[in-house]
Amino acid sequence: MGVRVTTGRTLLAAVLGFGVALSAQAAEYPDIGPLPQLKINKAKAELGKRLFFDKRLSGDAAVACATCHVPEKGYASKEALSPGYPGNGHFRNASSLINVAHRKVWNWDGRIGTNLNDMTREMLTEDYTMNMDMRIMQERVKQDPVYVRMFKDAGYGEPSNGSVRKAIPEYLKTLTSANAPFDTGKMSASAKRGMKLFKGKGGCIQCHNGPMMTDQKAHNTGVPENFDVFMDPMNHQAFIAFTMFQGIPNYMNLKRDPGYYNVTLLDEDMGKFLTPSLRELKYSAPYMHNGMIKTLAGVVDFYNQGGGKDSRKSGLLKPLKLSGKEKKDLVAFLEALSGDPLTSNKHVWKQPYPSEYEAIANWTKVPN
Amino acid sequence: MHMKKVTLSLVAAAVVTVFTGCDATATKQAHAATPEKMAVAKMAMQPSAPPPLTPLGKAPIPPDNKLTPAKVELGKLLFFDPRVGGDASTGCSTCHEPEQGWAWAEDFSRGYPGTVHWRNSQSIINSAYFPRQFWAGSASSNEKQAKSAAKGGVAGNGEDDIMEARLALIPEYRKRFKEVFGTEWPIIDDVWHAISAFERTMNTTGKYEVPLDKYLKGDKSALSKQQVRGMKLFNGKAGCINCHNGELTTDSDFHNIGVPPNKRWEEDGLAQITFRFEQYAKGQTEEGYRAAKSDWGFYYRSKNKWDKGKFRTAPLRYIAYTAPYMHNGVFYTLEEVIDFYNRGGFDEEGRTTLFTKTKSALIKPLGLNDQEKEDLVAFLEAFSGPEITMEKPEQPPYAPLFTLAELKAAQEAK
Ligand code: HEC
Ligand code: HEC
Ligand code: HEC
Ligand code: HEC
Repeated sequence: MGVRVTTGRTLLAAVLGFGVALSAQAAEYPDIGPLPQLKINKAKAELGKRLFFDKRLSGDAAVACATCHVPEKGYASKEALSPGYPGNGHFRNASSLINVAHRKVWNWDGRIGTNLNDMTREMLTEDYTMNMDMRIMQERVKQDPVYVRMFKDAGYGEPSNGSVRKAIPEYLKTLTSANAPFDTGKMSASAKRGMKLFKGKGGCIQCHNGPMMTDQKAHNTGVPENFDVFMDPMNHQAFIAFTMFQGIPNYMNLKRDPGYYNVTLLDEDMGKFLTPSLRELKYSAPYMHNGMIKTLAGVVDFYNQGGGKDSRKSGLLKPLKLSGKEKKDLVAFLEALSGDPLTSNKHVWKQPYPSEYEAIANWTKVPN
Repeated sequence: MHMKKVTLSLVAAAVVTVFTGCDATATKQAHAATPEKMAVAKMAMQPSAPPPLTPLGKAPIPPDNKLTPAKVELGKLLFFDPRVGGDASTGCSTCHEPEQGWAWAEDFSRGYPGTVHWRNSQSIINSAYFPRQFWAGSASSNEKQAKSAAKGGVAGNGEDDIMEARLALIPEYRKRFKEVFGTEWPIIDDVWHAISAFERTMNTTGKYEVPLDKYLKGDKSALSKQQVRGMKLFNGKAGCINCHNGELTTDSDFHNIGVPPNKRWEEDGLAQITFRFEQYAKGQTEEGYRAAKSDWGFYYRSKNKWDKGKFRTAPLRYIAYTAPYMHNGVFYTLEEVIDFYNRGGFDEEGRTTLFTKTKSALIKPLGLNDQEKEDLVAFLEAFSGPEITMEKPEQPPYAPLFTLAELKAAQEAK
């Protein structure tokens, strides 16, 4: 296990760089244009959709991916701290999954830098998310005739846990922004002024750049701790299990989320988190890795005062001295980055699942 | 160790490579010892008569897990605490229910939520004595057994890290683990130590002594005349003593006595899921996974084809409380069990094991008449004394580890 973690660490550090601050000049940054198109295999994505909303993919069949990544909330959790697998809480906000296929690094601390297949595996197997023994998952899927047909139609043949982890990422690719005023060129005058501030006086572009509005690097912005992580033992136990498994020193006494430190174990990375995308924020409140800021106006106030309090805070954050009107314009721009809700049948599996597993007929005669 | 994560990479490989690998091992072992050679060797070693039944002595206590009252008390709390498991709903006592003979009164044990088990739940009473635990003897001590029970996907489905984290946030456990094991925080291996210590006190000794043991110690009034007649049959005509012998009422060896597969596998989708999962979990070959239609028993461990359908000779003390019987719970009464043996290992419908080749030569029609069958059942009842009951302890509550003031101070110091 030690080997696996270390390799992961070196790899990730290489992908992310060490978040070294560059000096702020808008022109240096990748432009915040529209998102590139993704090629999607329809049959695989349709299968992934059914899997994403299926509670039978968790150990005790009580939670689906969609339990924490809620369609109406931009596929994020509605609570500041995500729910956990039954008998557990969680210590972070469930990230929005819209546009997630455009990322290269995942989780608030950036601990997965390979692909969405690995990310899906982590969600399925982690004790406090879905706690699924994937061998049982595979046999459950094989017991449902609808899946047997869908796997076949998708070209996967017999259902297997490996193809579950391919089909779900294919579905995740379908969760992309649609018709955001920013993309359609229909931004209000206020939003247009906000965009200027975003690239200029606000300095947001230093970290929130490229079509996803993220450099996918880790920074310390000084977001205060959410004390509910520690005051509610359900959340704290998930946090302890996480930090124990990640090999964080002195995890029993830890009173803060270590963030990117988890990946490098370098002191300077304590409290850094990956820059999130800024698309679809209209749906995904509350904000930040621990849901500590409830509204976009609150986020802008936070940056206006130069971020939070932390001795390791990024040097890129300074008090901005934005006027009331400028703050409104910046919020208007952030809102213009949200498009149509992805809550119709196109993205949400709305048909019921069977309440029981049908027995395979003629069981003694057919091969397993 | 994070079991689920580790298994995953294995699973992918298992489908293609490990399967063929297993076949290779099986062939290798076949060269070393053919069934015939084994049988000859066994015959040569077999004493002329099996060891007679003797009273149950003290439970063996391993030197590295001494019993202390505080450890036993802690083990009891943990045995009854469902937080030792995946979703805090399914602990040891959930499937080893004191009111159901410290087992579960259905053919297949209840499973972790969303699953059903594939074997009958065994009683924990007297488990301390058995060097090979589980129906197919796959665990060599209570400690190892408890660990695999708490973590198995259709049993406790717990992971070490989350279980350890939970216990750390329960002040009562912190205090008791420190007292008993001297560690600052509860450690998962000590959970298995404590539970095992508790189990080692759950025996049919002392005030729970069974009539048979009283009789064997010289109290001739402990058995009725009918039971004494039954005992003669047990030791003679019925041949039970061939396997159910010695202090433990079991030779601790593995036999195929002809128990037929449970029909639930033909009718119950949930049971079919677990059935296939177990083939994986127990390291079947691809071929075996496709073909298996009943529990291969001891084969999963030995990978020798003549071990298919063999199970550990079941101990007989306390069985009055632990119906249904056999590894898959196909018989609901002791009368049915006797009828099964009397037919030479066939059930009412004439069904028997799918592995007729490995069926024990010791199992053959017995020719018992009705009176003899009743006598034998009466004798089997002498293997159980008073019911062992216990009030379930209250679960010690969680409490936050830090105060708000401590958290605020840490925030300030950032
Ligand atoms: C019990 C709640 C829960 C469930 C169930 C759950 N997730 Fe998550 N998910 C989270 C949380 C919380 C995070 C953030 C974790 C972190 O940063 O440490 C997250 C993060 C992610 C991410 C990374 C997003 C990013 O931008 O970095 C992906 C992708 C994801 N989940 C997909 C899934 C999929 C697919 C499923 C179902 C197989 C699933 N999740 C089930 C709570 C959940
Ligand atoms: C130094 C890099 C940096 C700069 C500059 C920066 N951000 Fe961020 N931003 C981040 C990081 C890192 C996070 C996540 C912090 C956390 O979760 O603790 C974040 C989070 C956010 C979020 C919350 C998103 C969510 O899904 O929860 C919003 C909104 C946001 N930033 C807007 C802005 C705006 C507007 C500006 C300019 C005024 C700005 N940011 C400047 C790095 C930066
Ligand atoms: C979901 C139900 C379930 C749970 C939970 C469970 N068990 Fe069991 N137990 C069983 C079944 C079924 C068997 C037989 C399994 C087999 O042979 O494969 C068994 C077997 C045993 C045995 C073997 C007895 C013998 O004679 O060999 C012991 C001891 C035992 N369990 C103790 C425990 C302990 C301790 C725990 C908690 C850590 C526990 N069990 C949790 C169902 C369960
Ligand atoms: C060849 C060895 C052998 C002989 C002879 C034998 N048994 Fe068994 N007995 C076993 C084995 C092995 C099991 C467990 C089988 C299984 O679960 O599939 C068992 C199980 C049992 C059980 C079920 C116990 C439980 O907890 O489920 C009872 C009762 C029993 N035997 C009684 C008898 C009686 C009475 C006789 C004589 C008529 C007898 N046995 C003869 C090996 C033997």
